Amino acid sequence: MKRYNIDPQGLPREGFAVRHRLAERAGVRVAVAIALLTPMSAFPATDTELAELRAMVDQMKSQYERQIQDLESRLAKAERDAAKAASRSEAAAERAEKAADLATTESRPMTAPAVTPPASPESGKTVLGALDSGNAFNPQISVFLDGNYYHDGIDGEGATLVGLAYQPSRGVPHSDEADHGDEEHGGHLHGLTENGFNFREAEIAFSATVDPYFDASLFLSIDGDGTVELEEGFFQTRSLPAGLRVKGGKFLSDFGYINRQHPHQWDFVDQNLPYLNLLGPHGLQDTGLQLTWLPKLPVYTLLGVEGLQGNQEIFGATLGDDDQAALELGDTDDGPRLWTAFAKVAPEIGTNHALQLGLSYANNNQHQEAREDTLEHDGDHEDAHDADHEIEILRDGLAGDAQLWGVDLVYTYDGGGAYGHKSFKFQSEYLRSIKDMKITSSAHPEVLGTRRTFTTDGLYAQAIYGFAPKWTAGLRYDVLGMTNEISGSENASFGSSDRWTFDVTWNLSEFSRLRAQYAHNDILVAPGERERFDAFYLQFLVSMGSHGAHAF
Amino acid sequence: MVKGFVGFVVGGLIAFGGVNAAGLDVVATSSGMGALARTVGAGRAQVTVLASPDRDLHSLQAKPTMIRALRDADLVVAVGAELEVGWLPVAIASAANPLILPGQPGYFEGAAQVDLLEVGSPADRALGDVHPIGNPHVNMDPVRMTRVASALGERMALLDPAGAETYRANARSFAAATEQRMAAWQARLAGAPGVVLYHRDALYLLDRFGVPLLGTIEEIPGVPPTARQIKALSEGLRGRSGVIVYAPYASARAPERLAKDLGWDARRLTLDPPMGADGSGYLDHIDLWVQTLAPPP
Repeated sequence: MKRYNIDPQGLPREGFAVRHRLAERAGVRVAVAIALLTPMSAFPATDTELAELRAMVDQMKSQYERQIQDLESRLAKAERDAAKAASRSEAAAERAEKAADLATTESRPMTAPAVTPPASPESGKTVLGALDSGNAFNPQISVFLDGNYYHDGIDGEGATLVGLAYQPSRGVPHSDEADHGDEEHGGHLHGLTENGFNFREAEIAFSATVDPYFDASLFLSIDGDGTVELEEGFFQTRSLPAGLRVKGGKFLSDFGYINRQHPHQWDFVDQNLPYLNLLGPHGLQDTGLQLTWLPKLPVYTLLGVEGLQGNQEIFGATLGDDDQAALELGDTDDGPRLWTAFAKVAPEIGTNHALQLGLSYANNNQHQEAREDTLEHDGDHEDAHDADHEIEILRDGLAGDAQLWGVDLVYTYDGGGAYGHKSFKFQSEYLRSIKDMKITSSAHPEVLGTRRTFTTDGLYAQAIYGFAPKWTAGLRYDVLGMTNEISGSENASFGSSDRWTFDVTWNLSEFSRLRAQYAHNDILVAPGERERFDAFYLQFLVSMGSHGAHAF
Repeated sequence: MVKGFVGFVVGGLIAFGGVNAAGLDVVATSSGMGALARTVGAGRAQVTVLASPDRDLHSLQAKPTMIRALRDADLVVAVGAELEVGWLPVAIASAANPLILPGQPGYFEGAAQVDLLEVGSPADRALGDVHPIGNPHVNMDPVRMTRVASALGERMALLDPAGAETYRANARSFAAATEQRMAAWQARLAGAPGVVLYHRDALYLLDRFGVPLLGTIEEIPGVPPTARQIKALSEGLRGRSGVIVYAPYASARAPERLAKDLGWDARRLTLDPPMGADGSGYLDHIDLWVQTLAPPP
């Protein structure tokens, strides 16, 4: 261990003379040792030889780099010979090796000697591999803590409401699913946020190379109540040919751009409206297989497909056994029910700029809904809401499939300032969800078998700028339901929900950040019913352990 | 338009089936490692450099275009010792190129070929972004770089045996060119007053030529200095002579203030030569540092 300390006196502590003397002494020791240990045939250690070496050493006292070099290359030769002799005399070879080590660490030839691989690299050094802090065979471990202080003007309802913006295909919150195994998340939201202090989650990430064929990662999240969830647990191939990679297990789909990011990577405290409402708080997270191909095209192009089980909360949900029986929806099909395909293209636009465009498609073969249908016995369609007499509330069952389209664009500029100063990032995505279903059961036989298509889309656009070293400011606009309608045998259209968000983030170091965020929300909670409220967050994020590297 | 696109895709697919022409497709992380690869691979290697010298190699982000470059590479030349840890491993993993995975002959780290300074510092984040494996910035020591060049020559010879002699001869002539300048550099830096660095990134150069390190502006790696730290630093150095050097991606405020307090020069220098530099470009870059650190004639 050698530390080069700041020298208050300004005197070079390690002048050349000193180092050369050291080097030479080691050199002599080594030379003598090797000379004595090597069999005659390889390197005759005669008195004259030793004398010659001594003479050399004397010359070196007048500091000639060249001599050291000379000696070095001779040493290298001797070392090789010693290695040859090892079969006959192991002990000798070992001692020679030790000596050679000494010589290589203490003397510095100007030109590299005739190259032979070093006799024994220092522990932790592999000449082929990468140097790292080496924590033996443990996986890389990172732990992220994420908590906040939250306040909105509507008693803390806001953080939940933004994920329940009105869309016709979610007419009824799912009920009585507790007994059903397929539905893992009975309306569970990532640590329900209330007014005041919230601990959102602790995320524990493990990753390691399994063997020459696989890498693997595991992400666990523990919310404020101590509920542990498996966010991701997957393997990914390392050495398939032709630019192919396969990922398998439970993982965040590569659909879209922000989908595969964990909450601690977001540039805002919360997820945007389209993802939150069309895919749910976990995004498109499922179990299955992914195949990606990176062809050798002139421009970066990544193509991928995924086959996933299809256990989703919103995009292709199936109902509980009781509902399925009562509403004649049919049983949940065998998986995989969810298929995705995506393409990303990134043209070269300069060393400090990056641009990526993406197109994604997902299809879930099975989607089921129970809808409350209000029906007037008069058959008079004026306004269903204006009176509650003569109105019956009935449940209809709908079954069909769900599709989702996504377009994404990301642009980044590395401003080259200190600690992210002057860097800029813009990202935007458009999602469009189409649920195509038929009515399977209804109190009104005339509607049985008729089609209902629910279409809802959403868009977000956000920009982040490093306005000072370690400080970034972000602005986001997100909207759900520019198209928000039912078509088919019943046609109706509803309004949209949107919000403006502004945040300032202070990255104290690579491992901790504090963030303040203000949002003005305008959320459609039911047809014709809006909540307008302001929401304020103060967030802390800290990470422990390994230096995380994030994909683009 | 559509026809053009189809032609583009088909052409790409044909290229996809094609084999590299003679020689090696080398991707270097920094322009310094790029210069070395150009020198050693002269005449046989195509070199692409990922990061420009005016950006911090440590805080860079992986980009799709980097992944595209790595997809075709026969050899990656990195500084190593965790300097590129924030982006290179993820870029290599995404490149789906088994030839360049760490541990394969197609992955080369300069820092793994030489012995490092500051090995074994405590692994404690309270000390900032520290590297217990050792200080990674070996590219600032011309002598270590000759050794890296010779190891790189061997590696290229292993990957492209037809060019083995060329690579070895190139590495030798780079070593000779370096050696030619050494004496002048040593003479020029004899009795250099010392330097205040922003970050301990030019340490290897100071260590090689015995130039005193008088202090660092960034007391804790990765954490900006406070006004009080700068004041303490300037009080400790008052009345001496020296020079202040900082990287283009470091904030100029603290170095300039310290320079004003002490009446010294503050210089902005990159750790790596310009983007397209070769071996002599690298030596000119060291030369620039030597001139900056040298005592006034």
